[in-house]
Amino acid sequence: MVTAASSFLPRAEIGRLFDALSADGRRIIGPTVADGAVIYDELAAPADLPTGWETDTAPGSYRLRETGADRSFDYVLPVTSWKRYTHPAFVPLTRSRRDGAQVLVEPVADDPPQLAFVGVRACEIAALGIQERVMRAGPLGDADHVGRRTAALVVAVECAAATSTCFCTSMVTGPEVGGGADLVLAELDEGFVVRSGSPAGADLLATLDLRPAAPAEVERTTAQVAAVRAGIGEPVAAEGLPERLRAALDSPRWEQVAERCLACANCTLVCPTCFCTSVGVASDLDGLEASTQRQWDSCFSQGFGRVAGDANFRPKVKDRYRQWLTHKFSTWYDQFGSSGCVGCGRCVAWCPVGIDVREELAAIAPATAPRGPIPWPPAPAAGHAPAALAVVEPARHVAATITSVTPETADTVTFRLATTDPELLAARPGQFVMVELPAFAAPPISISRIRPDGLDLTIRSAGPATAAIIALGAGAQVALRGPLGRGWPVESAIGRDVLIVAGGVGLAPLRPVIEAVLAERPRFGAVRLFLGARTPADRLFVAEMNALAGRADLEVAEIVDRAGPEWLGQVGIVTHLFDQATWDGSRATAFICGPERMMQATASVLRGRGVDPKAIWVTLERNMACGVGTCGHCQLGPFFVCRDGPVFSIDELGTAFGREGL
Amino acid sequence: MTTHGVQAALKETWFAAGLAPRALDHLAELGRLVEIPAGTAVVQEGRPCDVLGLVISGRIALRLAVPGGQDRTILTVHPGDVYGWSAVLPQPIATSTGVAVVDSTAVVFDGDALREGLAGDCELAAALFERLLVSVSRRLVATRTQLLDLYRGGASPW
Repeated sequence: MVTAASSFLPRAEIGRLFDALSADGRRIIGPTVADGAVIYDELAAPADLPTGWETDTAPGSYRLRETGADRSFDYVLPVTSWKRYTHPAFVPLTRSRRDGAQVLVEPVADDPPQLAFVGVRACEIAALGIQERVMRAGPLGDADHVGRRTAALVVAVECAAATSTCFCTSMVTGPEVGGGADLVLAELDEGFVVRSGSPAGADLLATLDLRPAAPAEVERTTAQVAAVRAGIGEPVAAEGLPERLRAALDSPRWEQVAERCLACANCTLVCPTCFCTSVGVASDLDGLEASTQRQWDSCFSQGFGRVAGDANFRPKVKDRYRQWLTHKFSTWYDQFGSSGCVGCGRCVAWCPVGIDVREELAAIAPATAPRGPIPWPPAPAAGHAPAALAVVEPARHVAATITSVTPETADTVTFRLATTDPELLAARPGQFVMVELPAFAAPPISISRIRPDGLDLTIRSAGPATAAIIALGAGAQVALRGPLGRGWPVESAIGRDVLIVAGGVGLAPLRPVIEAVLAERPRFGAVRLFLGARTPADRLFVAEMNALAGRADLEVAEIVDRAGPEWLGQVGIVTHLFDQATWDGSRATAFICGPERMMQATASVLRGRGVDPKAIWVTLERNMACGVGTCGHCQLGPFFVCRDGPVFSIDELGTAFGREGL
Repeated sequence: MTTHGVQAALKETWFAAGLAPRALDHLAELGRLVEIPAGTAVVQEGRPCDVLGLVISGRIALRLAVPGGQDRTILTVHPGDVYGWSAVLPQPIATSTGVAVVDSTAVVFDGDALREGLAGDCELAAALFERLLVSVSRRLVATRTQLLDLYRGGASPW
């Protein structure tokens, strides 16, 4: 809404605004017609604006239509959004090289471009704000995003038209421009009513030396935007939508929409708030010099939820559509305190098969739907807040030297790494590091021992990066980023019995727990260690575990899935080690790590034995690419597993734990 | 070993704990406590299964023969659990070979006598079959889980 303090810019003088915006070398980005659509691009002059064009959109349809009028902002929304400039499709991250045994990884940081965004609509201002909250979610924020956003001037335009795909009214983001802009324009046939929205905008407006807007001019702009609001109506029943969606995770509609959805990712690419990315790696042919860049990805990509072990947490289109919709309209609130949708309607218009998100919401989570039980608690349990984020800079890499290599199994080794980095040395049990070797995507690796002079990492060769890493010998370096994530709350077990249940390589992140407990053994009650492995040859840390089994102050039991006749130990599944035991679980805290299904079975048995779900801790595996909750890969319901976990209590996870397709 | 001693041994197991006193008495009368030296085969895959054993101490490995290959241990039976459960079936054929991998003790029940005893004692039969179902279902779940081969490595994006 334009106020009485507004000024008036005659249409013929809009070039003065362009001159003022670019006076300090700032480039102007705004709407222009290209390839039959309005897009955002660099504007050289007002003539580049889409004057005389309007847009007509519908599900799966976008058309430009000539109006013959002189107005420049009668189109509704460009195809592209401002995230192209605030969260570009490609952002350089690091340069790295190997020089003999040495590895050097340096962050790449460019000065942000000085831009003026012209033509920003109310819903897009909301989108900029939402993205800013996402990218600032870490303690240091995403430096690239913060720089770009801070360097940009926002010149907003009040909507004078709506199209059938608009639903900003439902998402409470428009059509009236509120805060968030430096200048606000409202277009009339003869020119623009202008007001400032910030000190920078006020300075700019002063340089234009415009006459005050007449009350009638202001009233006409107010009437325009009021007509837009009336035209849009309330297409989405937004009240209570997050809760209704949470209760609809098993709706049959997900299957139905998946039959139409092509998983093409158009919706996420045109969405002004979608922020998911991957890290791309480019290198020279010998792999000695490499660079990484952050690039847009989409939760609709087949491999977005892929992890080790040929596993994919969202293999079906149904899973991916559910992730996208529930994230936008429900779990975004848990993560960032707002909806992830601003109602711009781009996803509706640019869906090639015309899936209308408003229609899907009405079918999946109708306003009349009963509020069912929600699958996870509304917020992470208090008392175990993320801590590692406070000290980790996403681009900070530390070179660490391998001082010894211990083969564990046919495909797994333990590296002893030397470092003097205080942050790495302050790692806590259960945290992980990203291990970077030039030319390879960095895998997240759990810390298997924390020593005064370094860390142990136990790594299984399962793909190109891990194969290259475990081929390194003593004296070679790798670059580490971390420690990351929330570790095991060992302190919560003080004064209680301790149950440690490991499956396969899941013993690696639990070894620091064992060592932490044994370091202060008298402070804990009974300590029981249950180990499962695929075969006798796949057991980790055999000598260490045998030594522990000889101690009188803890119980160690191990079991393998299969064995030849030479194995005289136990065969079966890990829960067989304790499902018929006689101890009382009500005084116990359990730490579990292994394949998710093994952890589910273990947690189920432990609950049956009286262990409180708040005291059953698991560590989850997801595709953790950034490690700080900004790439989106590792989401599980409301959680970013890398940032909020990977250690969770099963009480925190609720029924999200082990749920198919999440 | 007296019936009283067998009864005491049975009571220490999850399998027999909680049986009604009369059922426990009857079961103890049907069983005898035996020592099984390590390496002893207690049942043979494919052969008539003439005893049901309840392990009191030690460990019995259940193995399957793989023609042309090494026998595979698919499960070990621990104190409180049973081997030779096929002995209660109308056509008692052992589905695996049971071998004591360490010196063990068990309460064993002659298959013919046990089936006859259960046929005449509905209360004991109901309690025993329920416990056998728990045991068999427990190992069925284990077998299914093992089939998933959860600890298999598999490819990784990294």
